[in-house]
Amino acid sequence: MPKNVSKYYWLCQVGGWGCIAIFIIVADTTLLKSKAPINLMYIFTAMYVIPGLLSTHLFREVIRRSGWLQMPVEKALPKFLIGILLTCTGCGLIRIGAFDALGLVHTRNIPDFFAELMASTSEYGITIIPWTLIYYFYHYIENSRKQQLDTLKLEALVKELELKTIKAHINPHFIFNALNSIRALIDENPARARKAVTELSNILRSSMQAEKLETVTFEKELNIVKDYLALEYIRFEERLQVEYEIDEDTLDQPIPPMMLQTLVENAIKHGISRQVDGGKVKIVSDFRDHYHELLIVNTGALNGNRNIDGFGLSSTKNRLQILFGQKANFDIREVDGNTVQARVLIPVDGSK
Amino acid sequence: MIRAIIIDDERLARNELKKLLLDFPEIEVIAEAANAAEGVERIDSLNPDLIFLDIQMPGKTGFDMLSELERAPNVIFTTAYDEYALKAFEVNALDYLLKPVEPKRLADALQKLQLEEDKEPISDHPISVNRSILNEHDQVFVKDGERCWFVKLSDIRLFESVGNYAKVYFGTNKPLILKSLNALEERLDEKVFFRANRKHIVNLRLIEKIEPYFNGGLLLEMKGGEKIEVSRRQTVKFKEMMSL
Repeated sequence: MPKNVSKYYWLCQVGGWGCIAIFIIVADTTLLKSKAPINLMYIFTAMYVIPGLLSTHLFREVIRRSGWLQMPVEKALPKFLIGILLTCTGCGLIRIGAFDALGLVHTRNIPDFFAELMASTSEYGITIIPWTLIYYFYHYIENSRKQQLDTLKLEALVKELELKTIKAHINPHFIFNALNSIRALIDENPARARKAVTELSNILRSSMQAEKLETVTFEKELNIVKDYLALEYIRFEERLQVEYEIDEDTLDQPIPPMMLQTLVENAIKHGISRQVDGGKVKIVSDFRDHYHELLIVNTGALNGNRNIDGFGLSSTKNRLQILFGQKANFDIREVDGNTVQARVLIPVDGSK
Repeated sequence: MIRAIIIDDERLARNELKKLLLDFPEIEVIAEAANAAEGVERIDSLNPDLIFLDIQMPGKTGFDMLSELERAPNVIFTTAYDEYALKAFEVNALDYLLKPVEPKRLADALQKLQLEEDKEPISDHPISVNRSILNEHDQVFVKDGERCWFVKLSDIRLFESVGNYAKVYFGTNKPLILKSLNALEERLDEKVFFRANRKHIVNLRLIEKIEPYFNGGLLLEMKGGEKIEVSRRQTVKFKEMMSL
């Protein structure tokens, strides 16, 4: 890439200054009908173009080494102005010096010298100012295009990763505890043990399917959560109470797979399992002002727990907004001293 | 006979373990506890030889419970799957069982325990004499952030006071425990652990060198290279003890 860029740069540089040289010669001979000898005219032209080419190349090195292109405009502008002035003056000095050395024009007295310097400098301004503008804007556009592309690429990657990892997320701690409980149940209550195996299979199956699906119906997800809570009840026994408050009409609503499951799992992990005397988990599903509202209410406290900002919860909101747009929302808060409420709002179709 | 207590918040998990332990007649389950608070209580009143300890429990974790104990009994951890806990195990090779417990692994863990008991029979030091004083064969459980250790008191060369905490020196580790030096001094066997100055308690068996120091004090060099000054007042006591 850098090699390519530098090739392109030299092409522009030589091409540009070459055009100027041709332009000067053509203009001098045809328009001004200059009667100067032809080889003298070439020298004059070369004395303009060569210092210009060399000094702008030097100028470019300075710009690149000191990173003026990466600076904000208001900081870079004065540097560029001073840079242009110095470059033009430098070119002027070289030209005067060269003419003098070649014995073409002598500007030995001071007023003459300054007049000539001013003239030379402004002549260079005519080419070096556009040169700088082209150089600057080319890079400006290139940079912003690259930045846009990078941002887009990054966003796409983040979305993909987030969706994948959240979907795949099922707590291994839960699986092994469930298996352990089931093993104990096999002697104690074989019928319940068999039912538990079915429940666990359902959960595992749906967590695997979740990888493939964008959304599932709330009913399907609720069935998984019911199986999940039935299994957790085996573990926690009377320490876990469960309550459902479901509006039947919400059962067909689409929701992201395993999202409710993750939230209920959090309610158990951070809420119930930390309470020595256990507590209650309540799931509410209802319509509220063009939104499908899901509440997961559990005994427990947030008490600045860092896990709350952790992966599962902070990405829940992102995941909802990727699937249902900016109106979708998720929050979690303490309702009173000993209850935590997580709330999911999904806009109902047609109100988007 | 090994007297054991099972500490786990799930009734079914305790039952399952009890059932597995029926195959090991040398283990007698003398009590159960459903959380850390109950666990501490049972351990203090029954003084078991062994505890089976779940890590994830309501209120306090198994690790928290252990670091509250004055003296840690032999412990076999049980856990379903817990990355945090597994990390602690890997670092220190504590013995642990993954639930659901494989009978073979349980047998291995118990056998390992038996071997250690043979090396230093528990009955060697009568428990009844004074339970509040820690014998040098006693082990303590030390937890510092994510790392934890079981340490024999005889391996600890130095306690250093750092505010309300004490820094415990053993091997190449020096974790902090939330205990004051004064509280420690009361519990430690004074024949082995000596209060060298306001800030340090040293293990007399792990001193490398003793040199005279300013003002008639002494400078002790520990086995780990730490240099500890013995205050003038304590020097008198130190010399008395050593001359015996």
